[in-house]
Amino acid sequence: MAQLITLTIDGHEVSVPPGTLIAEAAKRVGIEIPVFCYHPKLEPVGMCRMCLVEVGTPRRGKDGQIEVDAEGRPVIAMMPKLQTACTVPVSPGMVVKTNTKPVQEARAGMLAFLLTSHPLDCPVCDKGGECPLQELTFAYGPGVSRFPVESKLQFVKPVPLGGLIMLDRERCILCSRCIRFQEEIADDPVLAFKNRGRGMEIVTFSNPPFDSKWSGNTTDICPVGALTSRDFRFQARPWELTNTASVCPHCSVGCNIALSHRYREIRRVMPRENDPVNEIWICDKGRFAHHFVNSPDRLSSPLIRRNGQLEPASWDEALDLIAQRFGEIKAQAGPDALGGLAGDRAPNEDLYLFQKFFRAVVGTNNVDHRTPAESCWPSDDMIYRLGVASGTDLGKLGKDTAIFFIGADPDEEQPVLWLKLKKSAQKGGAALIVANGRPTKLDRYARYRLRYRYGSEAHLVAALLNAVLSHPRSLPPANEGEGRSKEFAARLDGLEALRAAVAAYTPAQVAEETGIAEGDLNTVARLLAESPGLVILFGREAATPAVVHGLANLALVTGHVGRVNNGLVALLRHNNSQGAADMGLFPDRLPGYAPVSDAGARARLSELWGASLPEKPGLGTAQMLEWGTLKGLYVLGADPAAEYPGSRPTLEALDFLVVQDLFLTPTAKLAHVVLPAQSFAERSGTFTNTERRIQLFYPAFNLPLDARPDWQILNDLAARMGQSFGYASPSDIMAEIRNAVPIYQDLTDLELGIPQSKGRRPRSSIIHLGTRFDYLGGLGHQWPVMAEDPQARFNLAWIAPESDSRLQTPDSELSFVLAPIVRLYDRGTLISKSDILKPLIPPLHVALNEDDAAALGITDGDRVQVRSAQGEIETIAHVDGLAPRGVILYPIDLDTATDCTLFVDGAQATRVAVKSLAISYQQPGPAAPAPQVLGV
Amino acid sequence: MPEHIILRDLDIPDIAQFDVYVNHGGYQALRKAIKENTPDQVIDIVKRANLRGRGGAGFPAGVKWGFLPKGVFPRYLVVNADESEPGTFKDRQIMENNPHQLLEGIAITAYAIQCRAAYIYIRGEYASVAGKLQRAINAARAANYLGPNILGSDFTLEVYLHLGAGAYICGEETALLESLEGRLGQPRNKPPFPAAVGLYNKPTIINNVETLANVPPIIERGPEWYLSIGTEKSPGPKVFCLSGHVNRPGNYELPLGTPFRVLIEEYGGGVRDGKQVKGILPAGASAPILPAQALDVPMDFESVQAAGSMLGSGSVIVMDEDTDMVWAALKMVRFFKHESCGKCTPCREGTYWMLKLLERIHSGKAQLSDIDLLNEVASTMVGKCFCPLGEFSVSPVLSSIKHFRDEYEAAIRAQMKMAS
Repeated sequence: MAQLITLTIDGHEVSVPPGTLIAEAAKRVGIEIPVFCYHPKLEPVGMCRMCLVEVGTPRRGKDGQIEVDAEGRPVIAMMPKLQTACTVPVSPGMVVKTNTKPVQEARAGMLAFLLTSHPLDCPVCDKGGECPLQELTFAYGPGVSRFPVESKLQFVKPVPLGGLIMLDRERCILCSRCIRFQEEIADDPVLAFKNRGRGMEIVTFSNPPFDSKWSGNTTDICPVGALTSRDFRFQARPWELTNTASVCPHCSVGCNIALSHRYREIRRVMPRENDPVNEIWICDKGRFAHHFVNSPDRLSSPLIRRNGQLEPASWDEALDLIAQRFGEIKAQAGPDALGGLAGDRAPNEDLYLFQKFFRAVVGTNNVDHRTPAESCWPSDDMIYRLGVASGTDLGKLGKDTAIFFIGADPDEEQPVLWLKLKKSAQKGGAALIVANGRPTKLDRYARYRLRYRYGSEAHLVAALLNAVLSHPRSLPPANEGEGRSKEFAARLDGLEALRAAVAAYTPAQVAEETGIAEGDLNTVARLLAESPGLVILFGREAATPAVVHGLANLALVTGHVGRVNNGLVALLRHNNSQGAADMGLFPDRLPGYAPVSDAGARARLSELWGASLPEKPGLGTAQMLEWGTLKGLYVLGADPAAEYPGSRPTLEALDFLVVQDLFLTPTAKLAHVVLPAQSFAERSGTFTNTERRIQLFYPAFNLPLDARPDWQILNDLAARMGQSFGYASPSDIMAEIRNAVPIYQDLTDLELGIPQSKGRRPRSSIIHLGTRFDYLGGLGHQWPVMAEDPQARFNLAWIAPESDSRLQTPDSELSFVLAPIVRLYDRGTLISKSDILKPLIPPLHVALNEDDAAALGITDGDRVQVRSAQGEIETIAHVDGLAPRGVILYPIDLDTATDCTLFVDGAQATRVAVKSLAISYQQPGPAAPAPQVLGV
Repeated sequence: MPEHIILRDLDIPDIAQFDVYVNHGGYQALRKAIKENTPDQVIDIVKRANLRGRGGAGFPAGVKWGFLPKGVFPRYLVVNADESEPGTFKDRQIMENNPHQLLEGIAITAYAIQCRAAYIYIRGEYASVAGKLQRAINAARAANYLGPNILGSDFTLEVYLHLGAGAYICGEETALLESLEGRLGQPRNKPPFPAAVGLYNKPTIINNVETLANVPPIIERGPEWYLSIGTEKSPGPKVFCLSGHVNRPGNYELPLGTPFRVLIEEYGGGVRDGKQVKGILPAGASAPILPAQALDVPMDFESVQAAGSMLGSGSVIVMDEDTDMVWAALKMVRFFKHESCGKCTPCREGTYWMLKLLERIHSGKAQLSDIDLLNEVASTMVGKCFCPLGEFSVSPVLSSIKHFRDEYEAAIRAQMKMAS
């Protein structure tokens, strides 16, 4: 820690780190220096001149010594001009005056200048009420306008800056916060100034306009009402809104948000500051995909199938029927004829109750939350064992930490996580290694890029292990440094076996398989072994068991576990994928990851629950969806009929199918009973994000729907089936979870507790951050992993990489690899309810390399036929340079039926043939229908 | 003045031609600098000559060169040829008629500061001048006075020409750098100063054309000779651009410290039609107007400042007794409003506001209180703008109100009378 610098601001002495700007130092002593262009997250520019203050420094004599007056105090030489507090760093002995007459006059003067261009249309402006210009004018501005009104600027208003953002040019005070945000934070530099002087205006020069997933943030940091979102324009006045603390229900980052609502309707979603999670940013999906909550398509009452038709029914009828039919099936065919499939979007409390219902009430372990493909993998507890140690902030990794990233595109899948990794690499100086089969936006910040051939991921990891194990600083022999001690080496089992197993995978030997030069692999291996810290992130595209175990071994043999800024992060898909695993939504694991076969864990839970637990492991998703294995199925917040159409015959043949959801999904349409659930906005609960952070969200409002929270439905159903749970609220359940799930036992109310912010926000937060809600705690709780226990032992389990025959076998017929990728804007159930985002969802297409396209005679926009061993489709080809040679990129979830036509099991890469259909396809307008899909 | 040091084309008409320049001792200073001096010695000579920047601020060039951080390379030399101050046309004559003296100065300076690339940022309106300058660069390079291994030494220098796009602000050195890098011409925060973080974030020296043209004679004849010209604190010759209501406008090379009266009466042939001087703009539109009483002030940096204005780039605009000073202020403010880059609030909004008020006063639709409002708007801008452009823009307003308030009042009263 560098020496602090002490200075005096308005008579208050304050000590701050070197490099601190005067504006920031003043905040420490509670002095608000008004700003417009300055924003703590952006580089200072000093252009609005609002923060002018008087600054003096100790005068030095000719001898270089500080001059002192008669009383021994340093003589302060005040600078002749006022200085911008946002650009001048503090210096020792500095004296700052923020409230003198010249400063007051300067503030009033700057405001008078800013208001000459400003229309003062506060009564119809969406920013009115939380507008820095309004607040500061009220605080410091002149009371009278002397500018000739006929000379005010007038523009056609507003102009759309992009699909989501509108610009009112005459309100703009040209502070460039939005331009700088796009350049510095989002790295989508698509905004700029046009013209000069008073003719200057903000323009976008991308096509499509304002092409960025972060555009909504510019409306938050805009210090006036120049940038507004199409979603919120004229929806409400800010002071009429109630702001409820919540957590984003989309991807697995778990961004903290505030639901601003009025009359039981979400009017907007705003980011809420939580530095380790999302700082103050959210992506446009999180901001604009909230419309599912107030969608008219929401289920409004329970439905019961009568004479083949789903008809409205009362809750009592529905629950009684379920209890009766489940009871009959259990009596006739045994408890294992029933099963439960839960989506990983539901809160922890409900998921916990779901598995408790099946284990304690029904008496079966047939519960799962994974996709059919995932449910075949035996690596579910890797994060429980080796996840990044608690306290790790992925946005604040520095020079002494390496980041190994493999097999995902966080820019599309977990945008805010991408933002944090970028910041760590770009600003923090962390060494980022990106291994991927294709280029992504994260590549821009990578120190090393490993472009492997699809299907060779496990070989790549095995070769890194081989190289690391032959590196002198890996284990053993033990070298100096924390985590590399002999003691740590002694806690590893199977090291010699592992060494023998990877001997055949030298970087030279896998070079051909992976397409990565031996030297590059050795360089990266050396970096991994030598770096004091190492965070390994793996995504869906590479997360096969062999890869995940290989990565775990890599972290273990280099001693990169159990310490802050060390360990694994799984890039999970949904907001509560981690929580679903933690809550024991596995057929073979109990809450807290204990195997079902663990008699001690079973006994403990059985005592807690007052019921005996089945000891036979249950069926996973894939098996439950096999024809004939179950008679009754309970689906909570999942949609197998749409996502795995192969399961339809099974679902149709079930004796009894219960679906609990927000919408009448394709699966719900097959159900015997449909139960309307409440959305996250109507209830409270907790989600656990991909970094294992448990976060609480609050209920915003009740809707006039006869919907109930999932936990309450399960509670009532259990009571009808002879077991009274007796929960009155989600916090009752969380209290039990803390006892039942050891990793959740340290969770405190304080960590969860977030006071709600109602009405006006404090002025200082409006001015300095734009988005900040008054916020007193409750940053969430990151549960500790096993590796943080200094006694923990680790088994170096080895799964040999298999050459994926589908991908690696040369096949003249199917000459391309079809790689499934995820796009932020897809046709998922929740996002498709937001009309404002619909134009951003691309039509179904495949992307291929320019050279491949040329060889096939395909040009951008052509119709092509794509044929796998399983089926064939017709679609449009994009020739965009993002696909490597020999690879066809296929965005999944744009058309789930088509996904299942091509891919053999789930969404894993496969081989395909591509041919041009030689029909030129016109670039679709926003409303163009998805192309007709053949062969389904 | 017996001999021209900068405007040598007045003595030797064809000196723009490479052969003529070389035959008259051209590039000998460069040879001397490279063969007989270390780079630091060259800096020291220029420091001792107290060569002050001719672009406007008058900062000693040698001192500026000494600010380069030690051991940080590459460095760049940027030549500010954006000559865009109203009434300034001295650099044009140097570049058109005596380009090799500039190039020689560039080469010596580049040697002194140890850079291998120099950029001449020339204003877009000087496209024809740029063509001539480029031919001069080609000729000098062909003769190995520029290019690789100059004169057999290991000193290499490439000189690049870059045309601006017509923005006054790009004469401000950091806005110039932004423009040179291909961005919007807006000034940067200082510190860091360009000597530490300049072009492409590398240490950069920016000098005016005339400043660099002074370097070869200093190297050739030594600092003592140079100090014998001009005043003690402002030594050397200066090209004054005389324009306005005079009989013979044009560039006149005179020692610093020559009084305005000598320039206007002896060289400029006096005011047209025998009229009296009413006001002098000593530095184009940027410096406060001086009244006729200032005619005997010597034209050096200190004296003009003491008289309440600035010598700046030495572009002297003379206004005769019939000049409407409100109109003159209006013209100048219109210029600044047009050229304000828009980055900082006071300049962007203040120039517009001042223009609106001046238009109102000049068209007689104002009230007397508008004079005070104008004065107040201008005063509010003082000391608060991001760069000198905004600070300069108030000079014509504040100085014209100070010296010619009666004309403002008369303009308003005349209209009031007509109305009544």
